[in-house]
Amino acid sequence: MSNTGRNRLMGTIAAFALGACVALGATAAARADAASDMAGKKVIFVPISMGITLTEGWARRMREHAATHGYSFDVRDAAFNTGAMSELLAKAISEKPDVLVVHNPTVQLLARQIKQAQAAGIKVLQINLQSNQPSNAFVGANWTRIGTEIAQDIVKECGAGSGKSGKVAIIPGQLTAADSVMMNEAAFKVFKDHPEIKVVSNQASDWEPEKARQITATVLQQNPDLCAIFGHWDVHTIGAGNAVKDAGLSGKVLVYATGGGEQGEACKAIENGTLSAEWSYDADGQGRDAGTMIDLLLQGAAAPGGAMLIAESPLKVIKAGPDYDPSLCWKMPPKK
Amino acid sequence: MTDATANAAVPMGRKARRSLLEPIVLGVALALIVLFSTTIPGFASLGNLSVILSNSTSLVILACGMAVVVISRGLDLSQIAAMVAGATTFSTLINAGLPAAAALALAVLAMALIGFVNGWLIAFVEIPAMLATLATAMFMTGLFRFGVLRGDYLLILPKSNPAVVFFKSDLLPGLTAPVALMIVALVVTGLVLRFSTTGRIIYGMGDNFQAARLSGLPVRNTIVFVYVYSALAALLAGLVIASASGTVDFRIVTNGSLLFEVILVVVLGGIPLRGGRGGVRNLLVGAALIAVLRNGMTLYDFSTQTQDMLKGVILMAAIFVDNYLNPRDAETDTAGDL
Repeated sequence: MSNTGRNRLMGTIAAFALGACVALGATAAARADAASDMAGKKVIFVPISMGITLTEGWARRMREHAATHGYSFDVRDAAFNTGAMSELLAKAISEKPDVLVVHNPTVQLLARQIKQAQAAGIKVLQINLQSNQPSNAFVGANWTRIGTEIAQDIVKECGAGSGKSGKVAIIPGQLTAADSVMMNEAAFKVFKDHPEIKVVSNQASDWEPEKARQITATVLQQNPDLCAIFGHWDVHTIGAGNAVKDAGLSGKVLVYATGGGEQGEACKAIENGTLSAEWSYDADGQGRDAGTMIDLLLQGAAAPGGAMLIAESPLKVIKAGPDYDPSLCWKMPPKK
Repeated sequence: MTDATANAAVPMGRKARRSLLEPIVLGVALALIVLFSTTIPGFASLGNLSVILSNSTSLVILACGMAVVVISRGLDLSQIAAMVAGATTFSTLINAGLPAAAALALAVLAMALIGFVNGWLIAFVEIPAMLATLATAMFMTGLFRFGVLRGDYLLILPKSNPAVVFFKSDLLPGLTAPVALMIVALVVTGLVLRFSTTGRIIYGMGDNFQAARLSGLPVRNTIVFVYVYSALAALLAGLVIASASGTVDFRIVTNGSLLFEVILVVVLGGIPLRGGRGGVRNLLVGAALIAVLRNGMTLYDFSTQTQDMLKGVILMAAIFVDNYLNPRDAETDTAGDL
């Protein structure tokens, strides 16, 4: 990560710590107290799946925080199996950790269990994908903002005065996933004021690149004048980008995605023309935000009136073209 | 094309009772083509035909392997796991800098081994096919995710690699490598089923396994053969999918919808799950219906869930019609169903 990136992140974290009412001028003794408060506590992370740069990146940073402050950090990998995820979460709740970090596959699936965990006195941190059920804290992207910004960019590139068709294809991951729900809602709100934008396809890929590729190939055949594709995650949108390339429409059809901004997925895809732009929520930075949030929760931080503590991830817009800046991506260190 | 073989392997009196599902499915496919052509502008175009073809290549290649297994009265639930495992082996090796030919040879060996294990468990340990292949599917997914990819779910392929370029290239104008490979898979499957001794044994086993075994046919070796064949078809499909989408992705296994579609193609075409009948023509009919339906539903912009639901309804309708047209008798009842 570049120095400016790191500074910006530090700034965010400092501001966030302020917001959480942690005294910045703590003395060395107070710091030692805080550290001993955290030592020996227990944190469990239940991700949708490990093995993707997003969750691996988060876990790496959270683990660093745990090692620094002496609390335990366990990962329970649901491996994209929602049934297994509910079971893993039930087991995690029965172990009574101090903080439970939950990554929701849909807005509904884990709502009841989050409520149950909180009733049992476990602090619940939701990461990047929210449930309908509020909890102690949320660290992650503001999907409404991402959806709005990408839709506005699409209007700028494809809307009135652009000379383009205004046709847009949206490829969500799953229609009930928090990010897809919010981004679709935000995007359609923007498009409503621009009747020249026509959404010609809105079909979920189940997060699979090959399904996204097949949908895109079919849609492009029907609409060769398609102006933009809005893929809800860079991983499956790579498949859509490949369909655009195969149809010989690289550069003519803009491929937008969101993602964690890992170098191998985001920047490489932009460099080889598979993606045109990625709104990155910087998974590496999110991992650090989550680590800090866990530290604060373990020290007793809480929002007034039982509201949710929220750390919104700053966005990095990575675009192909003359302004392309590869330093906006972060790199996952190779496994040892 | 293969009906002669199929009928040769069954008693004379059964000729009149051959499945009526195939013409019905063909009729439905043609009706859908007419419906989509009149309601979707651009459906009936050469360009759309090439999209339908290229989107169904991997499905048809997988179905070739599955058909051979099903005709022998087996079932390969590990096929999609083998497909991803094969693509992973190949991609990991070329990412490590191995020449494409060597990577391919090693991937073929690895997949043949997987097919062999399936066949050995079923033929020699005598574990039911469904359980054996379910177990190997889970074992493979775990082994390849943690042993080979070291926990990763996704592998991104270098687009510049000559092997990846080959699988995306046009062999002749208008004939892409995946479509050519699909045709090769269909022809080879047709030849194996119709003209080889092994093919005859496969029909014999599907029609009456005990009779085939008691008459001294090498049923165990043939079982091993059909599962190796299925695993190699899976590898081929995996290479086509990985090159097209630029990724190898384990969610294709966990989502499970592709395995459902493969079985759908086989059953809809009129190859009964109790085996013994059917051939490449049935595959083509089943694949035509699914490919046209998928394409039309995507053009109609139906949600993925609606599409899955409709496919489920079609499978149920096919089984219903099949049961109605081919009522059970003493023979089919003793043969048992899956």
